[in-house]
Amino acid sequence: MIPVLRSEWLKLRTTTIPWLLTGIALVITGLSIVFYFVNKGSGGGPRDQGNFGPPTPDIPHTTQQLRDLLGTGVGIYVFALLLGVLIITVEFRHKTVTTSFLTTPHRTRFVLGKIMIAALTGAVLGVIVLAATLLGGGITLSAKGGSFSSLARQLGAVAPGMILVYALMAVLGVGVGSLLTNQVAAIIVSLGWFLILENIIGGIWHGTVKWLPSGAASAASNVSTGRQNIFLFNWWQGSVLILLYGLVFAALGSILLARRDIT
Amino acid sequence: MPSAIEVHSLSKRFGAVHAVDDLSFEVAQGRVTGFLGPNGSGKTTTLRMLLGLVSITEGTATIGGRRYVDLDHPIRHVGAALEATSFHPSRRAEDHLKSVALAGGVPLQRVQETLEVVGLSEVARRRVGKFSLGMRQRLQLATALLGDPEILILDEPANGLDPQGILWLRSFIRNQADLGHAVLVSSHLLAEVEETVDDIVIISEGRLVLQSTLADMASRTTAGTGMRIRTPEIDRLTAALDAVPAGWRRTGPDTLVIDGASPEWFGHFAAEHRIVLYELVQEKSSLEDVFLELTNGFDTPRPIGPTDGGAA
Repeated sequence: MIPVLRSEWLKLRTTTIPWLLTGIALVITGLSIVFYFVNKGSGGGPRDQGNFGPPTPDIPHTTQQLRDLLGTGVGIYVFALLLGVLIITVEFRHKTVTTSFLTTPHRTRFVLGKIMIAALTGAVLGVIVLAATLLGGGITLSAKGGSFSSLARQLGAVAPGMILVYALMAVLGVGVGSLLTNQVAAIIVSLGWFLILENIIGGIWHGTVKWLPSGAASAASNVSTGRQNIFLFNWWQGSVLILLYGLVFAALGSILLARRDIT
Repeated sequence: MPSAIEVHSLSKRFGAVHAVDDLSFEVAQGRVTGFLGPNGSGKTTTLRMLLGLVSITEGTATIGGRRYVDLDHPIRHVGAALEATSFHPSRRAEDHLKSVALAGGVPLQRVQETLEVVGLSEVARRRVGKFSLGMRQRLQLATALLGDPEILILDEPANGLDPQGILWLRSFIRNQADLGHAVLVSSHLLAEVEETVDDIVIISEGRLVLQSTLADMASRTTAGTGMRIRTPEIDRLTAALDAVPAGWRRTGPDTLVIDGASPEWFGHFAAEHRIVLYELVQEKSSLEDVFLELTNGFDTPRPIGPTDGGAA
């Protein structure tokens, strides 16, 4: 198991995929933090809708506000999904899959190796985004008169859910990529689904939201924030749901791959 | 000696197309077997079925009696260098081999060893995207050798190699056989492997045309042998030949071709009759001629038709 992971990690780090995705994710995280403070500065945005406390000051100070700030990265878990998609489709794009199948002829085992490395690197991506948010958000916060440590104290509540969602989304990405081995198609379908289709479907049939991957991700990310959206599952149900999506796709993908002629 | 590779009644259909049709042959341990056929004759499809990359429609293809997918750590038993296999362009040669070694259960020290064997040590840290076709072929061979396998399967390994590279490849293949390894090497040109192989398997349009030793096939070339003679005394020669009698045909004002005679016999014959010779050439129909004849001469690109199989 360890050699397989080492091999997969070596393969992954010698492509531009992890570096490019991490770079873009960090840039967007930075922008999100800026946007968050600008939004707060203008008197509070929709994030405060559930907050019936005293009027919102310029800087986030309630537990929920701080958790929202620290959990900004949850909103871009799509990068973890893309990571998973790319981890498997890159083999087909560059035809390295021939060598991989010669080395690991059991194709289910090949997909399993991808799932493992995706879960691991997805989690690492979550940690990196979270660390960047803590650093960027904390520094901005202290510059505005708040305290860095007030944000850092929310790590215990935010980190597990966020890292879990990143890991699971990367696994889901491998599932999608095993079904749709054409890299471009897999990316378009993934982004189209998460950024457009889910919003439409959820907008029309509200009851479906909790069953959709993004609804499940929202549920899973609220591990212990205590913020339960009544429309969603609880955190572990959401997590199991994403994992199920990922594993069902990967299982179907493995079946298709097993029959596929590599020419 | 048991066969290293056994292909038995193997067939592959892509839709209505028979890419490989009831093909059977064996590859012996410690020998080099040339797997020959025109482009599109089903060689690559056969090799890929043998390696579990392409599903088998009918029949069996086994390595040491087992299917490739059933081998434990297959690259330690079978090394394959296939056409159209690629590398990730931004990966360094060394890292490519390391990733294969890790996944294939091969000690990492083999990476440097195989790079040395194929002469790529100096570019080990270079990205494969910068490699020439010949260097990629060598890296492909290094990948095949990584697990120190007793069986090597090479698909058109000479493609993209320069003449020195081809000479190197020949000695490399011979060397492998001398180590007792079985080598199955495919080519669409007999001449390319003629000096390297012990046995040949020829296929055409997915069917077996001939399996024999190279020596047996070479004996076929004596049929149709002629000796071309150039002499200023052609009339005296023909008269002498008629007296023997020996079959001959005039091919020019001072040249003729004698059928079915050895140069040794003719040398003495000419000396006895004190006939001056300018030229004595044994005109062998080459192995390549026999090969082309056996495979219907379909070695030049032909239009894609229903029999082509698209299997190249």
